[in-house]
Amino acid sequence: MVARARARVMASSVDVLLMVLVVIVALAIALIFIAAYGVSPGSGISAFVQGAFGSQLNLASTLAKMIPLSLVALGWIVAFRAGRIQVGFPGQIMVGGIVCSIVALKFGPLPGVIHLPLAIFGGMVGGALWAWVAAVLWAKRGVNEILSTLLLNLVAAQVLAWWVQSPFHDSSTPLPQTLPFPNSALYPSLLVNTDLHWDIVVVPVAVLAVAYILAQTTWGFRVRVAGANPQVARHAGISPKSIGVQAMLVSGALAGLAGASLVLAGTQPAMGEAFEGGFGFNGIAVALLARNSAWGVVPAALLFGALSQAGQVMSATVNISSQLVGVVQGLMIMLVLAATTILYVQRARRRGGGTGARAALQPPSEVRSAEVGVPG
Amino acid sequence: MIHFSLAAIGVGPFDTNLLSQALILATPILLAGVGELISERAGVINVGLEGMMLSGAFFSYVLTWKSHSLVVGCLAGIGGGLVFGVIMGLLAIEVGADQIVAGVAIDLAALGLTGFMFEQIFQNLPQIVVPTVNNIAIPGLSKIPSFGPALFNHDPLLYLAFLLVPLSWFLLYRTRWGLAIRAAGELPMAADSAGISVRRIRWMGVLTAAGMAGLAGADLSIVQVGIFHENLSAGLGYLGLVAVIFGRWRALGVLAAALVLGGANALQLRVGEQPYIQGAFWGAIALIAFSLLGGELLPGRGPVRRSALGLTGLAGIAGVVLLIVEPHISLSQPLWVGFPYVVALLVLAGARTSARMPTALAVAYRRGQG
Repeated sequence: MVARARARVMASSVDVLLMVLVVIVALAIALIFIAAYGVSPGSGISAFVQGAFGSQLNLASTLAKMIPLSLVALGWIVAFRAGRIQVGFPGQIMVGGIVCSIVALKFGPLPGVIHLPLAIFGGMVGGALWAWVAAVLWAKRGVNEILSTLLLNLVAAQVLAWWVQSPFHDSSTPLPQTLPFPNSALYPSLLVNTDLHWDIVVVPVAVLAVAYILAQTTWGFRVRVAGANPQVARHAGISPKSIGVQAMLVSGALAGLAGASLVLAGTQPAMGEAFEGGFGFNGIAVALLARNSAWGVVPAALLFGALSQAGQVMSATVNISSQLVGVVQGLMIMLVLAATTILYVQRARRRGGGTGARAALQPPSEVRSAEVGVPG
Repeated sequence: MIHFSLAAIGVGPFDTNLLSQALILATPILLAGVGELISERAGVINVGLEGMMLSGAFFSYVLTWKSHSLVVGCLAGIGGGLVFGVIMGLLAIEVGADQIVAGVAIDLAALGLTGFMFEQIFQNLPQIVVPTVNNIAIPGLSKIPSFGPALFNHDPLLYLAFLLVPLSWFLLYRTRWGLAIRAAGELPMAADSAGISVRRIRWMGVLTAAGMAGLAGADLSIVQVGIFHENLSAGLGYLGLVAVIFGRWRALGVLAAALVLGGANALQLRVGEQPYIQGAFWGAIALIAFSLLGGELLPGRGPVRRSALGLTGLAGIAGVVLLIVEPHISLSQPLWVGFPYVVALLVLAGARTSARMPTALAVAYRRGQG
């Protein structure tokens, strides 16, 4: 037993080391890109650090960006553990935001104690609703959830564009955005004159909740079994389909919660056409870097928050397009994927177990249980 | 046929222009779809299709601008797709990583890379429109009155796309290569023991899909519009994936699916710009749904489900009622833009597909480890 526990700790530290290496390699490649456009690596690095952490303002923005990233990443983890690859987070964020805007603008006036929680809840319902479409299509009609969620993202983007142009358009401005929300529906500011609001509290709560539910509760156990081995799940009386649908609903609700944060704690107190801001897909990258472990989400989201905040600042200070952040994120996913799969195959070969591409993405503590289909 | 009968009942937007537009908009979906068909039959699903298309669109635009040659542009498009195809092959075949996650990574990276390079190269330049590929009228056929010009006066890539349908059918079903491809996607172990290199076949599949997705991107940027902007492909690559699934992994099916999706897109563009839509339009849509759903009920398509029967009846009744009542319902423009994607979702929901899926799709193959 002790030997196995020690092996597990060893495996985890190798994993952490590997992820750090991946981050360094990806950032080094980004530096090459930056150098190619005539900015020296030294000033590139200092511009990055300055942009992400250099002032109270920048640090607060980094932390604010971490919030939707963490929530989306947790959403991916819940669905992924149940064996579902849903990538509909952008759409779920948008629909969550739309429901938020209904609650914020049409349900009032209410005291803030009721109005804000109601608006947040509305966002979660909206996200879950949009995920439900994909979940039902998958469970009832066998439609691959990755395709349906990709298409639902495209549909949601158009619904949002219509929403802020027609029914909820603020007629005092030509910009596609809603009327300003009442203060009672907004997250209060945590640090005056920065982007940081009280919704940062949601992150530790959600991380703890997801980690606890997946590891300690019966439902979490069912999710893991259904995801690791549907056959075994069926034998144990667990329906991988209903568990998959439930996990996707929870996943969508978490994306909706991220949408609520973006709408109710944004830089402006209204909802615009582009409020999603790419957080939906970047959250997936966060989850993969965290190797689908709820705890790992915190450092990974902090890194990605810093990346996108620094990217914005750097486009102003050293004239490097903020799109570079997208390149770095894509690179990191590829490197994580390659590194973890190779590591996993080697470990499995040493143990003589089977190999599965998806099992390679599970956190190391889960790998054994994923192979035999029972909790370790 | 539909287009004539609808014109007869006075639905404005259905005319030969729409037909021509539908073919043009089906072309990138078809190009990407046929490539993806080969890849999926070999056992590799390529969600990175969207990113490869975007990359192809970007590189063909830049190289057409630099070289003033459309041939170079098209080759650059193929190359732009292949760059990400090599990455996909390394991840999916050599490493054996999760294909879907690898594809998502490629989409993200391509979106970032093309956006980054576009901004870095063109941020201080005015909007550059590159010359687009000229149409070639097919002698004789294009002179046919009414639909002749709509069908036979197009750019060469469009002809190529439609030509690739029978070619890919021939490749898959009448050549040794095709047999090897299908074996690699159905039962890679058996293919391996028969002396077929699953690895090489899958590489070929991935690169075919990537190159053709890149060419589809070139079709978007240097054939259709002559410009590039961030996220030019805007989901068309995903429609290529939908076309393969809706087409039940058959070449003719992919063609039909591409035409339905391209048609929906053309219709969207057409009616989106009209202030209001004649009620007959909605009736026509319901009747099309009726015939599509009815097709599923034909003998030989498996057991008839009561829900399918009910839906078909409902669509039929709705169609007739809408044609008689003619209500004026109109949608605002963004909702029309979303229309083809809703059609794609309905198509996926309506198609009975899982039985035809290649058995080893998205399953990594390692020699000696079944």
